[in-house]
Amino acid sequence: MMDLDGPMIHFQNVSKEYDNQSALHDITLSVEKGEMAFLTGPSGSGKTTLLKLIYLAEMPDHGSITIAGKEAVSLGESGIPLIRRHIGVVFQDFRLLDNRNIFENVALALRIRGIGEREIKTRVADALKTVNLRHKADSYPRRLSGGEQQRVVIARAVVAEPTVLLADEPTGNLDPETAEGVMRTFKDVHAKGTTILIATHNRELFRNSGKRVFRLDAGNLRGVEVC
Amino acid sequence: MALPYAFRLALQSLRKDIWINLLSMLTIFAGLFIISLSFFIFYNIDAATRNLPEKFSLVIYLEDNLPREKADEVIASVRSRREVASVKYISKEDAFRELKATLKNSQYVLEGIDDNPLPDSLEVKLRRDAMGSEPVRRFAETARKIPGVSEVDYGEKFLSTLHDIRNGIRTAGILLAAIFATGITFVCYSTVKILFYRRNDEIETFKLLGATKGFVRAPFLIEGAAIGTTGGLTSLIALYLLHHVVILRMGASVSVFKTLLFPANIFLSLPLVGMFLGISGAAIALGRLKY
Repeated sequence: MMDLDGPMIHFQNVSKEYDNQSALHDITLSVEKGEMAFLTGPSGSGKTTLLKLIYLAEMPDHGSITIAGKEAVSLGESGIPLIRRHIGVVFQDFRLLDNRNIFENVALALRIRGIGEREIKTRVADALKTVNLRHKADSYPRRLSGGEQQRVVIARAVVAEPTVLLADEPTGNLDPETAEGVMRTFKDVHAKGTTILIATHNRELFRNSGKRVFRLDAGNLRGVEVC
Repeated sequence: MALPYAFRLALQSLRKDIWINLLSMLTIFAGLFIISLSFFIFYNIDAATRNLPEKFSLVIYLEDNLPREKADEVIASVRSRREVASVKYISKEDAFRELKATLKNSQYVLEGIDDNPLPDSLEVKLRRDAMGSEPVRRFAETARKIPGVSEVDYGEKFLSTLHDIRNGIRTAGILLAAIFATGITFVCYSTVKILFYRRNDEIETFKLLGATKGFVRAPFLIEGAAIGTTGGLTSLIALYLLHHVVILRMGASVSVFKTLLFPANIFLSLPLVGMFLGISGAAIALGRLKY
């Protein structure tokens, strides 16, 4: 069971190293339930590492991470998938399966959760409609443009209605118009109560948004501000 | 997880990596075929030699001129033994008559023998479970000590040789089956490992989306089972063809082939054996892989 009291994501003095190189150093931050926040900083500042620690692709070397009240380090192998099912991730490298069509790629998130076939059809159709890709359901990822692939990843991340949505440079390769469309999708998802954390180096995404922005630099949290 | 989806993933993988899977299936087929063929040979040797001991019996020779009541005591003593199936008293007269009948075309052998030189004797048949060379030897030792018994004769060498041959074939069969079963398991293990590495990216994505180990493993276990079952089924078909087309046809000219038994009930379990070995190989591979 997810504990929905208190912050949805909480880092307490978290550090992470790769080959004795510090990727994150003594990070303490919280993202509240239902909040939409941004994580910014230059390339190599630790944005992706921080997101990986949230969806448990990495474990911290020091400190503690709490996701919806669950302490990540104490979860154990069997607990990790159960936490991940509450988190939707828009991966920077998409992670789409080339040998499956768009419908199957999006449906995968539901199949993993053991959802029935009839419900999968309805929910995948709705998710693809949200990102304006319903007509591409039978296409394969390689046949889509970068922007379309990005939207498929968003559809896959939101189709299971996660409690937390993480996005790693979601507009990195998109033209301004498509990027705006993607952000509109995030706002719609956020309006339903989903906690969202978006890592980006594109300041335009959070300018005048009224949202909190965590600034990372060389693995250190330099500050939190409301833009 | 939804089992139908696991079957779908397994089927997709079987199709996608058809050559690896086909090669594994053929290796399993060859292994199971050799195991079955050795079993077929052992089964027939065992069947042919199983009833041989029944045709042989121990002969207990009684002391010369032992009174009949004493002979009855010996008979009662022998009959009381758990391993004895039947006891037949053969008087020295009956034995001599039988000898004469046996040698009716070689009467000269008995020329000059006026007195009956044969003793009274008991023909003893043992139960099937006491037919081993060691139990028979122990029984003979005990029988020799019964008062009134002068000698005990039995086909010691024959029984011992037969016993050794059967044991030797059985041991060789078990050893061969163990070696090939290990080989088959290893083939499935390697196949699943290769397939796993080939799908590493896909599995990583599954995991990041929240897949449990069961979700990741199930298609591989199904694939291992499918490869093993197909290998077993193919070897069953090959054995059937070997027996019905080759051996029975050869039986027309070489009569010994006609007598060979085909243990169909046992061979019908080959697909199941293949499936078990396939799943075992896959399970070992998945247990050793870090993911």
